[in-house]
Amino acid sequence: MRRRPLLLEPTFLASIVVVLILPVVLPSVAMATEALIFVIASLGCTLLLGYVGLLSFGQAIFFGVGAYACGLALIHLGASAWGGLLAAAVISLAAGLVVGGLVTQRRGIYFVMLTLACSQMFYFIAYAMEDITGGDNGLLNVPRPPLLVFETTLLTLRTPMSFYTFAAIVFLCIYLFLQRLVSSPFGSALVAVRENEDRALAMGYNTRLFKIAAFAISAVVTGIAGALYALFLNFAPLSNIEVSMGERIIIMTILGGTGSLFGSVLGGTFYVLLGNLLSAIWPRWLLVLGLILIVVASYLRGGLLSGVNWIVEKGRGWGILRSFAVRAWSATFRIRTPPRAQP
Amino acid sequence: MNLYLIQVFNGLGIGMIYFLIAVGLTIIFGIMNFVNFAHGAFYLLGAYACYAIADLTGNFWLALVLGPVAVGIGGWLGERYFLSRLYRVPHMYQILVTLGLALVIQEMAVLIWGPIGKPIAPPEVFRGVMIFGNFAYPKYRLFLIGFTAILALALWLLLERTRYGAVLRAGTESTEMVSLLGINIFRVYSMTFALGAFLAGLAGVLAAPIRGAEPFMGPDALVIAFVVVVVGGLGSFAGALVGGIVVGIVQSVMSSFWSEGANIMIYVAMALVILLRPHGLLGRA
Repeated sequence: MRRRPLLLEPTFLASIVVVLILPVVLPSVAMATEALIFVIASLGCTLLLGYVGLLSFGQAIFFGVGAYACGLALIHLGASAWGGLLAAAVISLAAGLVVGGLVTQRRGIYFVMLTLACSQMFYFIAYAMEDITGGDNGLLNVPRPPLLVFETTLLTLRTPMSFYTFAAIVFLCIYLFLQRLVSSPFGSALVAVRENEDRALAMGYNTRLFKIAAFAISAVVTGIAGALYALFLNFAPLSNIEVSMGERIIIMTILGGTGSLFGSVLGGTFYVLLGNLLSAIWPRWLLVLGLILIVVASYLRGGLLSGVNWIVEKGRGWGILRSFAVRAWSATFRIRTPPRAQP
Repeated sequence: MNLYLIQVFNGLGIGMIYFLIAVGLTIIFGIMNFVNFAHGAFYLLGAYACYAIADLTGNFWLALVLGPVAVGIGGWLGERYFLSRLYRVPHMYQILVTLGLALVIQEMAVLIWGPIGKPIAPPEVFRGVMIFGNFAYPKYRLFLIGFTAILALALWLLLERTRYGAVLRAGTESTEMVSLLGINIFRVYSMTFALGAFLAGLAGVLAAPIRGAEPFMGPDALVIAFVVVVVGGLGSFAGALVGGIVVGIVQSVMSSFWSEGANIMIYVAMALVILLRPHGLLGRA
C-alpha cells in the first residue's frame, strides 16, 4: 500500500481546520489556546493508551515538570520562548526515562498503580522544594518574551491571538511528528506490544525498551504542553503536578477516543469547553464529569470519535453527496478496536 | 530516644489504618481481578459517616458500628446492581468507571458537607494521654493499635478458618474451578466487595478522630493503599499487613527527621522495593 504524503494525511488536514476555526467558535481566544494546550497533553496520553495500551496516571508529572522547567529557564536563564520549550522537552525527557524505567518493571494493574504512586511522589517533591518551585504558591512571574526567528520578531506573544498562533504552530508540529511516528515501523511495534506483549517479546522485540521509549516520547509531548501552559498563565501552579491533573488528562483522552490521534483533538477541546462552561455555572461540575466518564466508559468505549463515526454511519445512503462525505469521513476516522487490557 | 519510640507507635497506628484500606483492595483484586479506584471514596464515606453519626447522636461507638456497616451495604448494592455489569469489559474501563464513581462520591461529599474538613473528637474514654513513667502517649492512638490488632486477627481467622475464607482463597487461585464446584461465585463477589467496602469504611471511621473528615482525602488514601499493596505484594493478607506497617512507620519516623520529606520517603521506599523485589516483599512471582 502506498503511503499518503504526511502533510496530506486527512486527520492532519482536519487538525488544521480545527486550529483555524477554534478561536472563532469558542467564546474566547484564551479558551481556544487552553484547549490546544490540553489537546497536546492529551496527544501524549493517546500515544501511550491508544497505541501501546498503557494507562498512565502519571502524565501530571511531565505536565508539571515541563511547566517548571520552562518557567525556571525563562526566569533564571533569561531563555527565549523556544529555549523554554526546549528546556521543558529535555527535562521531561529525563523524567520520562527515569519514571518509565521504574514503572515498566511491572505490567498490567501494577503498572497503573505505580504510575499513580510516582505521580504522587513528584507532587510531594515539588511541594517540598519550595525554594525552586515556589511550593504551594506556585512559580510566579513567568515572563513571556517575544518569539524571535533570526533576530526578527515573528510573534510578539503579547496579544491572545499572537500566543494562540504560537500554540497552534507547536500543536501542528507535534501532531505531524506523532502521526509520522505511529505510521512508522516503530509505531507498528508499539501496537504489537499493545495487542500481545508476550508474542512481541517472543518475536525478538525488547518490549520494555519500546515501552520506555513510548513513555519518554509521551513525556516530552506532555512536558511541552506544560511549558505552553506556564507561558500562557505567566505562572506555574502546584496543581499542574497534582494527581488530579493526570486524571484530567486521562479523562479528556478517553472522552475523545483513543482509536486515533484525532480523538485527542476532540477530547481536549470538548473537555476545556465543558469545563469552562460548567464551572461558570456550578462549582461542583466535576460531579457531571464523573457521570460522563462512567457513561463513556460503559457505553461509548471509542469516545466521541466513535460517536461521530456512528452518526456518520447512520447517514449512509442519503444521496451521492452525502455518501461521498460519509466515505471521506469514515476513511479518515476509521476506528480501530479499543486497546485491550493487559493480562 | 523517646521521640522515636513515639513515632514508631504513631506509625503502627497509622499503618494499621493503611492495612485496613489495602486489605480490602487486595482481596477484591484477588478474587475479581479488578482494581477498585473508588476504594479511597469508601474510606472518605467512612470518615463522613463517622462525622454525621457522631454529630447527630454524640456517640462515637455508634458511629464505629453503624458507619462501616452503612459503607459495606453501599458497596454491596453498588457491586450488585452496577459494577457487576462490568466484569466482562477490559480492566481499563473498570478503572475508568470506578474513577468516575470516586469523583461523583467526592463531589457529593462536598455538596453535602461543604469543602472544608470537619474535625471529629475521639470518644470520651480515650481523650487525653496515658502516662507510662516518663513516657506519655495519647489514649486514642493506643486504643487504635489494640483495636486494629484484634481486627486483623479476626480478619485472619475469617480468611483462614471459615468456609467463606476457604472459598475466597480458592477463588483467588481459580474462580472458574470454584464455580464449577457448585459455588455461586457472583454471591462471593458481592460479599467480598461488601467486606472490602466495610473495611475501608472502618478505616475511615477509625482515622477520623486523628485526621478529621475532609472531602479530598479519598485519592490520597487510594494512592497510599497502592503503595502498601506494591510494597507488600498484591493479593495477600500478610503482604497488606506488612506493607501497611512498613509504610506507616517509614512515614511517621521520617516526619521527625525531615517533615516535608516524610511523604517522599514512602515513595522512595516503594521504588526501592520495586527495584530489588519486583513482586513485593511477600509477593509471589
